[in-house]
Amino acid sequence: MAAQALSGRAVIVHDLALENYGFGGDHPFNPLRVRLALELCEALGLLEDYPLVSPGPATDEDLTTVHTLTYVRMVQKAGRSLSTLSDLLDYGLGTPDNPIFPDMHEACARVVGGVLAACRLVMAGEVDHAMCISGGLHHALRSKASGFCVYNDAGVAISRLKEEHPGIRIVYVDTDAHHGDGVQWMFYSDPDVLTVSMHESGRYLFPGTGGVDEKGRNGGVGYSVNVPLEPFTDDESWISCFEAVVPEVLRAFGPDLILSQNGCDGHILDPLTHLSATTRLYEHVPQRMHDLAHELCSGRWVATGGGGYDIWRVVPRAWTVLWAAVSHQHLPEKVPEDWLSNWGEKSPVELPPLMRDAPEDYPQGPPSAKIAERNLRTIQEVVEKVLPSIQ
Amino acid sequence: MLLVKDSMTREIVTLSPDETAGTALALCRERRIRHLPVLEEGRLIGIVSDRDLRSSTSALGDPARATALQEILVEDVMAGDVVAALPDDPIEQAANTMRERRIGCLPVVEDDELVGIITTSDVMDALVYLVGANEPGSRMEIAVPDRPGSLAGAAGVFGMCGINIVSAAMGPTREPADAGKPRERIVVFRVDTIDTAEVVGYLDEAGYPVLWPPKP
Repeated sequence: MAAQALSGRAVIVHDLALENYGFGGDHPFNPLRVRLALELCEALGLLEDYPLVSPGPATDEDLTTVHTLTYVRMVQKAGRSLSTLSDLLDYGLGTPDNPIFPDMHEACARVVGGVLAACRLVMAGEVDHAMCISGGLHHALRSKASGFCVYNDAGVAISRLKEEHPGIRIVYVDTDAHHGDGVQWMFYSDPDVLTVSMHESGRYLFPGTGGVDEKGRNGGVGYSVNVPLEPFTDDESWISCFEAVVPEVLRAFGPDLILSQNGCDGHILDPLTHLSATTRLYEHVPQRMHDLAHELCSGRWVATGGGGYDIWRVVPRAWTVLWAAVSHQHLPEKVPEDWLSNWGEKSPVELPPLMRDAPEDYPQGPPSAKIAERNLRTIQEVVEKVLPSIQ
Repeated sequence: MLLVKDSMTREIVTLSPDETAGTALALCRERRIRHLPVLEEGRLIGIVSDRDLRSSTSALGDPARATALQEILVEDVMAGDVVAALPDDPIEQAANTMRERRIGCLPVVEDDELVGIITTSDVMDALVYLVGANEPGSRMEIAVPDRPGSLAGAAGVFGMCGINIVSAAMGPTREPADAGKPRERIVVFRVDTIDTAEVVGYLDEAGYPVLWPPKP
C-alpha cells in the first residue's frame, strides 16, 4: 500500500475489483451503485486530493476469525461451480438472495480486505477517517450467507483489530434499514465491542430480529443496543431517536474506534423497506459520527456502505454525502451536469438535479405524529433497560 | 419435536417437606428459579413457588420476617395437589393445562419418578423456535381459503421462487374478506429472504392475499 499517496486526514479505500461483488441479472444488490456513487464524487471534484487506495484481499486466516473454515471452503468451491446446489443451500448459498457467481470468494474477500485496510490505516494513525463503500455486509453469519451478504467485513475487521490491538474497544453503529444481525451475533457476549443498530422493526422487515430486548449475553449484556423503528419513520423522528441514544451510548462506552455501517435503504424511495427518510438523515448521521469520533477517540472513524436499492436516485447521493463528511469537504448543491448526462439515459427513472432532497418532493405517509410517539416509547425502553449496563 | 420432553428442564432443584421457607427462598434466588418440587423418599408430594414462600410471612421490610421464614416449613406452604405432565405429552397440552389452571409450571413425572419440570418460559422458548424467530427471515401473513390444498398452494409459490420456508403456522378459520368466498385461514410464514417483493406479487396473483407486512 502506497503510504505516500495518502494526503490529508481521510482516505477512500477502493479498487475496481471490489465492484465484482454483485449477483448479476436483475438482482437488487447491483455493484453499479458503487460505480455511480464514486463517479458522482469524482464529478463533484471530491476525489481530487484523494487517490483511491487499493486493498488486498482478506486471507483465509482473516476470514476464519469469524467464519468457519468449512464455510469459506464452500464459498471457494461455489465460485468455481464445484459443488451441488443441495450442499450450497446448507450455507445459504445458491438462493434467490445469495446466488452464486464466478469467483465469488475472491470478490467477497476483496470487500473484507477493503474494510480491514481502512481500519488498519486509521489505527496506524496514517489517517483520521477512512471509507470503504463496498463494505457493510452485515447479515453474513458464521457459517451462512444471508441477505445478500457472504462474508461479514465488519466482523472480520473488528476481530482482527482486537488481535492486533489488545484491549481495544470498538463501537459499531449500523443505520441500515435492516437489523445488523450478523455483526451483533458475532460479538454478542463481548463487552469490548458495542454494537448499535437502528432499523425498521423486525415485525415488518427481514431479518426479523433487533428488538430492544436483544441486549447481549453473559459478560456482553448491555453491549448490544437495538432501536427498532416503526415503518414510515421520517427524518425528524429518526434523527431525534438517533440523538437520544447514540451520543449517550458512545460516551458511556468510550470507544477507541468507531466503525459505522451506512446503508441508505431507509430512504422513502427504497423498494425493499418501508421507512421514509431522505438525504437529510444521510447527511446528519455521518456528520454526527464524525463529531463523536473527534470527541471520543481522536477522530478514529471508519465508514462503510451497506444496503441501498434505489441505486439511481438515492445511493449515489447518499454515499457522496457520506464521503463529504469523511473527507471534510463542502457538499455542492447541484448534481453535476456531466454525471447527469452520462447516466441519465441509462437510468430507468428521472435523476434528481439536487444533492439534497426537498421535503415536499415526497408524498406524505401515514400521520407522522403517531409514528414518532411510538418511536419515542421505544427510545424510553432503550434508555431505561439497556443504557445502565454500559460501562 | 414439540413434546414436553423436548422443552423440559432435566436438572431439577428439589426440596424436602421439612426444610424451612427461608432455605427454599434462598434457593430460588441463588438458582434464579421460581418453582421447587417437594420430594419425600423420592416421591413427588408437592410443589412450592417463590410467591407462596414470600406471601407466607409478613411483608418485606418487617423485622420479624427473617425469623418467621426460619419457622415456617415447606410442607406448610406447598401445594399438595400437584398437576403433573408426562414426558410424551404434546407441549400444547401442557401449555393449556397451565393456562386453564393459572399455574406457572408442571413437574414432569414418569413411572412415579420426577424426571423434569416444564415452566411457562420453556413454553415461550418452544414458541420462539417453532416460529423460527431465532433465525433470520421475513415474517409474512397470508390468507388462504379453508379448502384442501390451500396451504400447499401458498407454500408452493415460495418453492417456485426458490425461497426456503423457515416456519409455518396456520390459525383457526375466520370470515372471508369477500362475502361469498369460503371461510379462510391465516398462515404465518417465516421465509429466508430479504426481498419479498416478487413473491408477494405471485401470491396475490395466485389468490393467496398477503396481509402482512401491510401495504402502504
